[in-house]
Amino acid sequence: MTVECRKVEETFLHAYVDGEFAGDESAEVRAHLETCPACTDVVRRHESYKAAMLRANAAAPHAFHDAVREGLVEEAHHGRWIRAFRDPRAVGLAAAAVGAAAWFLAGGLQHPLFSRAHSLAEDGVALHARALPLDYTASDVGSAQKWLAGKVDFGVHLPQIGQVQGVRLSSFHSRPAAVVTYTIPSSDGRRISLLIVDDPEQQLPGAARRIADREVWLSQARGFNVASWRNDEIVYSLISDLDEQDVLALVQSAEMR
Amino acid sequence: MLDFKHTDRTRREFEGLSLEHLDALYSAGLRLTKNERDAEDLVQDTFLRAFRFFDKFERGTNMKAWLFKILTNTFINKYRRRVKERTVVEGASREAGNERFVTREPTESSADPEQYFFDKLLSDDVIRSIDQLPIDFRLVVILADLQEFSYKEIAEILDCPVGTVMSRLYRGRKLLQKNLLSYAVESGVVLPRQAIEIEAGAEIEADVLEFKRRVE
Repeated sequence: MTVECRKVEETFLHAYVDGEFAGDESAEVRAHLETCPACTDVVRRHESYKAAMLRANAAAPHAFHDAVREGLVEEAHHGRWIRAFRDPRAVGLAAAAVGAAAWFLAGGLQHPLFSRAHSLAEDGVALHARALPLDYTASDVGSAQKWLAGKVDFGVHLPQIGQVQGVRLSSFHSRPAAVVTYTIPSSDGRRISLLIVDDPEQQLPGAARRIADREVWLSQARGFNVASWRNDEIVYSLISDLDEQDVLALVQSAEMR
Repeated sequence: MLDFKHTDRTRREFEGLSLEHLDALYSAGLRLTKNERDAEDLVQDTFLRAFRFFDKFERGTNMKAWLFKILTNTFINKYRRRVKERTVVEGASREAGNERFVTREPTESSADPEQYFFDKLLSDDVIRSIDQLPIDFRLVVILADLQEFSYKEIAEILDCPVGTVMSRLYRGRKLLQKNLLSYAVESGVVLPRQAIEIEAGAEIEADVLEFKRRVE
């Protein structure tokens, strides 16, 4: 190092600046730098580069910090069911039986599109659990619908459920989608999500019920209840941790605009 | 097993260890996905996965590195397919590899302050330059220069030998600095004449092929 500056590897000096050397090695390099302008040049240049890079870091938005916390709370309270069923010692047989029953109830044997239906519920729940920040905050359904009309290329009829909070644009199997968030004042202000997808081929998940002139499909994923229906070829999926009766009541009372 | 108190205690322990790294993960996620929406998705997924596998985390070891391993794996498996990479310039990366061995004449060293132009650049230009890197280089540059992980930590995060980390880092930085230099000229931080000198300084090289044969 001391003599062979013409052949000192640049990477060696970079490693020095990167903090890769122990104290005594570092001291050796420093001693050399005092006598060698060429190596000092390389070091300064690399320091200047590193400083510029550090300044390019970004902080996450406040709303996103909140969303991550909220997502973890949801995961802690619902994911535990999944974890319970993952434990083979406790519930191996039971899980197999439940799995088979769920498959049967979902009509998996009859529907070749079962997996897509299944994924509507699963992906909807994942979107709900993430609780990502809203693109648009709304206090009434009318303004949410108006905002959405300019953002997606399909007609949307937002139902009147509880108190609307806002809308986030999303995508579902590469199709544009929207997630509308509501809170339900009568259920301690619990948050529910309405996933809206323009997918004419989408198979609705679960078992069908007839509610207020409408076929509503009910299913469960990761401890959440999912109610799905179709309106003008557009698929609506309501995801919440309310129990089935409350979900049905919500859908029933939903004033379709 | 379905004990709420236990779950809540675990969640609080997890939050205590993980949330301080949220900004770092988001910042890295932003440069990986290049947009805020995908970055938020990626980081949310990372946190949920990490929480689910929290029992696999060895207490007392490096939480930040563990989270970044999950972040990069999640990105590679899921988002990489979705996020369209800009054209990967095969030739450009090879060219950068050719600058590995630099011979410098101590007597000719200029101590020219324009050599240290990088920190005069706008962060936007730095970000644009990072985003132009092919993904393999971008990954190591993000981990080393934005997050200041050690070579060894990066090797563990990416599951590859330290030598691979070092060679990708070297090439990635060379490519990046080439981009930075052109932005520096564009914005007048560096004069075109100086740019030529800086480039020339970085391109006097020897034994490149020999070296590459040894390393790869």
